[in-house]
Amino acid sequence: MPTEPCAHFPQVPPEARLELFRLVLLQRLFEERALTLYRQGRIAGSFYDGRGQEAVAAAAGLALQDGDVVCPLNRELACHFARGITVAEAFGNFLGRGDGPTRGRDGNMHFGAPARGVFPLVSMLGDLASVTVGAAFAFKRHGEPRVALTFLGEGGFSAGDTHEALNLAGVWQVPAVFVLQSNRYSYSTPVERQMVNTNLTERIYGGWSIPAERVDGTDALAVYDAVRAAVSRARGGNGPQAVEALTLRIHGHAAHDDASYVPAELRAEFAERFDPVARLEARLRLDNLEREAVEMRGRVEDAIAEGLALAESSPAPDPAELEDGVWAAPVSDG
Amino acid sequence: MINYLEAVRAALADAMREDERVFLLGEDIGAFGGAFGVTKGLLEEFGADRVLDTPIAEEGFVGAAIGAAWMGDRPVVELQFADFVTCPFDVIVTVAAKTHWRSGQAIPLVIRMPTGGGVRGGPFHAGSPEGWFVGQPGLKVVCPGTVEDAYGLLRAAIDDPDPVLFFEHKGLYRRLRAEPPAPGLRSPIGRARLAREGSGVTVVTYGSGVTLALEAAERLGGEVEVLDLRTVWPLDSVAILRSLEKTSRLLVLQEAARATGAAGLVLSLVAREGFELLDAPPVLHAPPNTPVPFAPELEDAYLPSADSTVAALETLLAY
Repeated sequence: MPTEPCAHFPQVPPEARLELFRLVLLQRLFEERALTLYRQGRIAGSFYDGRGQEAVAAAAGLALQDGDVVCPLNRELACHFARGITVAEAFGNFLGRGDGPTRGRDGNMHFGAPARGVFPLVSMLGDLASVTVGAAFAFKRHGEPRVALTFLGEGGFSAGDTHEALNLAGVWQVPAVFVLQSNRYSYSTPVERQMVNTNLTERIYGGWSIPAERVDGTDALAVYDAVRAAVSRARGGNGPQAVEALTLRIHGHAAHDDASYVPAELRAEFAERFDPVARLEARLRLDNLEREAVEMRGRVEDAIAEGLALAESSPAPDPAELEDGVWAAPVSDG
Repeated sequence: MINYLEAVRAALADAMREDERVFLLGEDIGAFGGAFGVTKGLLEEFGADRVLDTPIAEEGFVGAAIGAAWMGDRPVVELQFADFVTCPFDVIVTVAAKTHWRSGQAIPLVIRMPTGGGVRGGPFHAGSPEGWFVGQPGLKVVCPGTVEDAYGLLRAAIDDPDPVLFFEHKGLYRRLRAEPPAPGLRSPIGRARLAREGSGVTVVTYGSGVTLALEAAERLGGEVEVLDLRTVWPLDSVAILRSLEKTSRLLVLQEAARATGAAGLVLSLVAREGFELLDAPPVLHAPPNTPVPFAPELEDAYLPSADSTVAALETLLAY
């Protein structure tokens, strides 16, 4: 079966379509390169990727404006890139370099650039939903036309703190946008064994009166169009908004997990027909942007090679500096 | 004269008058004025944007306070009881404590919580849970034991760029009275205070223990030195060791059960760095390792008192 091109969204200008392609491809090729490095033993610890979810990450990141903030989770590297984090910074974190975003203190996609509006991921699901609501509350309190966005998966949707955050967002009517990555599995457990009503759109609207729109999460243009509208409504003072993007996590939870619990035919059909990168590339061909797409691929490949070289040539972290920065204002000895 | 509770309220009001970034959030703190009345009158002066009533969702609103702190605000959270810090434990330790070390982003957040017993609160309203956070990198843990420090430490906590857990003692709220602290006073975080000078034994204590120790010292006379830690994490180790150089005897007094609180850290410090200063084994005067009991007969027996502190000091001095 051939790849289904993304649907036609004339309202998404060609520059945005190409920028989305740059971002999904950047995440895809970055993660493929990083997975190889992990298997070679050059990346330590564990390795997670977002194969199958790149469109959601890219579209949500690109839908934000200067001054907006975001709390990405662990399959949203394209969102980091959309918000200005460089390939070298990202590799610097995966490789644990001394001048990387966390200076080797945390690994893989557990990093951000909080001074530039990207909060560093924590592993506990649901925590960052409330952080997002608090940032949005600050915008509202100060009368600033800014928006805070975060992601939630089905896994996070089972966590109690997520529900506390959604409730607060509704009660306070803050400019927060929740992008729900419905990727069907939380680690190995299918969504049907995690919740009775698996329709998160229905639940987020029915439970907290947060307007929600359900879109095809493998279609970058559809997600972008929906998130852009949600961000605009939130910015306009209409309170919290949600977009549910339906997709599939193609890889396992992490590199050690072969996802054998996902029916093979489902994965095969998904990879063949609904791969988000291939779908957007097919759309660009239909839109007469094939030449630009080919050039873009070359630029992305170059950016990955350059970023990796830069990160690999940067210094290792220094154990002597380990205790620096535990506190912003350390208490000095008597 | 004002009481300890009024000193906390004055610190909040002064900080909010001086700095628009400061806002309060917590359960029933608006029109109702908070479970203990600490925030009474603040809604009227500062408005609902700066004195926020929240749903009963501590993890959610502490997490939201972290988000606002990330954006440059100075949120001050009230938990109704310190025992309820179990609920937002995750966001405090996972997010607030580790963000600066991981990313360089400061999280200037204060979490105030009425701590301690003596009010027949039982296992869920009378605990002293500061020990869960003692030793947690990235947090500062403050336990004022005087009216002056209730004001001065809270002002310093609100100024501080790090997350500060502020354990105000509910039993002291209306019992301690003193002259109003000078407006704008700051008590330094991380510095112990010599509450009483003596030559024969050092009582290292904090929170409700300060009053007890001073009362016991009055009864025993000039030998007893009282060191009020004020900040239990990070510990002012220099002040502890300096006092022991003079007295050579140590009694740690705390209201938290004996296996928790700050005692373990103090005793570990003294074992490692003060061993040769000591003329007697250190004494830990603290409640047994149980939750706080309800019945007056049980709670009175459980909590340290001036009488029990005098007895413990006499034994130590006789060693």
